[in-house]
Amino acid sequence: MTGAFWRRFLVPGALWLIVFFAIPFGITIAISLGEPTELGGVLYGFNPGNYADALDPLFAPVLLRSVGYAAATAAICLLVGYPVAYCIARYGGRYKHALIAAVLLPFLTNYLVRTYAWVALLADEGLVNRFVGEPIGFLNTPWAVIGGLVYGYLGYMILPIYASLERMDPSLIEAGKDLYGSPRQTFWHVTWPQTRAGVLAGGVLVFLPSVGDFVSAQLLGGPDTYMIGNLIQQQFYGADNWPFGAALTVVLMAFLMIFMIFYLRGSQERREALA
Amino acid sequence: MSGFDRPRFLWAVTGLVYVFLFAPIFVVVLFSFNGAKSLQVLDGLSLRWYEEFWRDESLRESLVASIEIAAITTLAATALGTGLALGTIRSRTRTARGAALFLLIPLVTPEIVAGVSAFVLFAQVGIALSLTTVVLAHITFSISYVTIVVRGRLAAMGSELEEAALDLGATPWQAVRLVTLPALWPAILAAAMIVFALSFDDFVLSFFTTGESPQPLPVRIYSALRFGISPTINAVGTLMLVVSLFFIALAVLLPRLLGRRESGLAVLTGSRTA
Amino acid sequence: MSECAVELDAVTKRFGDFTAVDDLTLRIGRGEFFSLLGPSGCGKTTTLRIIAGFEQPTGGGVRLDGADVARVPPYRRNVNTVFQSYALFEHLDVAENVAFGLRRRKVPKAEIAQRVGEALELVSLGSRASDRPSQLSGGMRQRVALARALVNRPSVLLLDEPLGALDLQLRKQMQVELKRIQREVGITFVYVTHDQEEALAMSDRIAVMCDGVIQQLGQPEEIYEHPGKAFVAGFIGISNLLPATAANGGVRIGTGALIPAPVPDGIAHGTDVHLSVRPEKLLVDEVEDGMASVEGTIAERVYMGTATQLIIELAPGARLVALEQNTARARADDRWELGDRVRIGWWPEHGQVLR
Repeated sequence: MTGAFWRRFLVPGALWLIVFFAIPFGITIAISLGEPTELGGVLYGFNPGNYADALDPLFAPVLLRSVGYAAATAAICLLVGYPVAYCIARYGGRYKHALIAAVLLPFLTNYLVRTYAWVALLADEGLVNRFVGEPIGFLNTPWAVIGGLVYGYLGYMILPIYASLERMDPSLIEAGKDLYGSPRQTFWHVTWPQTRAGVLAGGVLVFLPSVGDFVSAQLLGGPDTYMIGNLIQQQFYGADNWPFGAALTVVLMAFLMIFMIFYLRGSQERREALA
Repeated sequence: MSGFDRPRFLWAVTGLVYVFLFAPIFVVVLFSFNGAKSLQVLDGLSLRWYEEFWRDESLRESLVASIEIAAITTLAATALGTGLALGTIRSRTRTARGAALFLLIPLVTPEIVAGVSAFVLFAQVGIALSLTTVVLAHITFSISYVTIVVRGRLAAMGSELEEAALDLGATPWQAVRLVTLPALWPAILAAAMIVFALSFDDFVLSFFTTGESPQPLPVRIYSALRFGISPTINAVGTLMLVVSLFFIALAVLLPRLLGRRESGLAVLTGSRTA
Repeated sequence: MSECAVELDAVTKRFGDFTAVDDLTLRIGRGEFFSLLGPSGCGKTTTLRIIAGFEQPTGGGVRLDGADVARVPPYRRNVNTVFQSYALFEHLDVAENVAFGLRRRKVPKAEIAQRVGEALELVSLGSRASDRPSQLSGGMRQRVALARALVNRPSVLLLDEPLGALDLQLRKQMQVELKRIQREVGITFVYVTHDQEEALAMSDRIAVMCDGVIQQLGQPEEIYEHPGKAFVAGFIGISNLLPATAANGGVRIGTGALIPAPVPDGIAHGTDVHLSVRPEKLLVDEVEDGMASVEGTIAERVYMGTATQLIIELAPGARLVALEQNTARARADDRWELGDRVRIGWWPEHGQVLR
């Protein structure tokens, strides 16, 4: 069955994606170069000024903050997620599958409801503050937002690490123990290198969505913790400055694409090095 | 062995993570049955918030709307995604290879970018926002999930089955219809269940593409949240969690129930041991 | 109608820079059990796939029953394949699997039922007709694959290492079964394998392949007793290969001694050659007049159950392997110790001079 025969099957899906994904993004780029009109619409033109605005000292911190929060989230997810993945993979035994499924289950449910759950817990009239004398303002802080992000994406770090641990040959650890003696050395020289690919995949899977996230910042934070997602949303609902919003969107997308390309190149090189 | 008891420490950490993950959910569920209108004090158990949810006509409409959207999205995305899977994994033409890369982009696109693009498309083309626009957006971003799940299964299957069918006298179309698709069925079903859950839970895309009324349930929850937390939201939230869990469970269990050897978990991860 | 079931004329298959099959010409007769034997990557499976129609040759032609099949797709060739992984349809039961080809040809229902029953009887699986493939053992699945192919009465049956996944006992049994079935049904079998014992046991003729080229083609005894190339001698069975130089009436080995051996026409004096002798043709301490012989020391003894291998060192680096049967009358272990000095002889015609 030739390539031409099979190719036919992808046509409807490909057409759909072109019409409803590629073209809209194209329109977004076009709008990003336009001017806002009083009625909240767009006057098409060529105004790269919107991009300059995006990098303006007024708004640049928002972008930096998004990247910073996302990076912190990825780091925390790694610190917390790796031990969990390792524990289940190595010591889970018969219950391994149930345990990992249980850990991943929350991440397949509604992100909004889960984040809202934290709001319910941490709000001034929420449960946690009931046990503390004076209500502590948990919300509206960067750590609340980062916490929300960690809560939202931890599973995406645990899964790839778990998968790479499962793929490892257990006899390698035994060999490592013979060779290196201490568990710490064995870990660094045997386990860690084998799971590096999983860690990187997890890092990307957590970092990328976190940069563009706006639910956590919206529900758990405030104007001081605005991320780029919130800023974009504002331009379309409120500030009515579509071109600027579009420019921010394109900047976000471009940033992530570049990141992805570096990651894919890197993993390609790593795969070739191993082959 | 060093004094540092690794397994015990790791289990402690893991246990804490489980608590961290499930405690908020547990609280939401628990307080959805709260007799009192409080988020801090539990006063008896009752179903009053579920009753309030049921009495609220617009909330009911939103629930129905979310289900409808998810159902249509599932059907369309599964069909289109399976086509893309078949077309990109068995074909070596340039078109196929390009399509294979292209379809990965929606997967790494942040939801807000997706939402803005969809919003902008409908605005500029002049389509009023409604449930239809939500469905269109959902389908667009679900297709790629179906494709990777189905592709994983196709790759694992190899082309020997199709060759055997051809060898026995089936034309290429017959081979696909009689052999490839039946063998692919567990993966397609698992993907469909995932798409349903994802669509039902979706917030960001829905937020940017929804009309006035009815609105998908997550959008309603969000709007209600701007006015502060209310126990009715606990009920709605709990309901949503139950629905998602149900469909995820179906995704994992259905293939097993249909008499295939592998469980859904294996199908989804492409492994042979789950 | 031609005598040949399969004809390949100068068939070449290239995948990019890699040539899998190189200018291959082959004639397989009707009713023959023909094997393609060789190591992995030698092109035997590609050749089989070209006959089946799954690969188009880059050059050359293929004829089935005299007709050119260049434009004929696999589903219109009167050829069926038994795949290495069996490729059974898991969503159909055994009977439906076997009936698949018949249904595609729109054979009437009653006839389908009858032929499926016969095919399953042929492979001794009549009682399992309504089971699913997943409920069967490896050996049974293999037989279903066979029945599924045979029921269509193809003019040629192609088998791609069908016994590879079975354990030793089962494999030996199936070899006998397949041979019996082939004789009973009379269909031409083209059999691909890397197991030379299997090929020797089952085939009417064998083509030994390497690097996309046929190294030697002939009957099993011919190939085993008279390998034409060092590769064939080494691939089929164990062979002793002594480097030597061609001389008058024989070859000169490293020690300078002249060993009588049949030197083929076309190999000139002084050419570098290999002298190949099969281990079982070597007689230890039983040298008779007229035999070629050398002296050596027993370096190792390897007990293999039915026989003992004796590894005899002629000179540092030059070793011969002899095979002594453990018969009712004598055991090699009782006769020779390590370090014993022995004389090894063989009849000159059992030595092959190879380039």
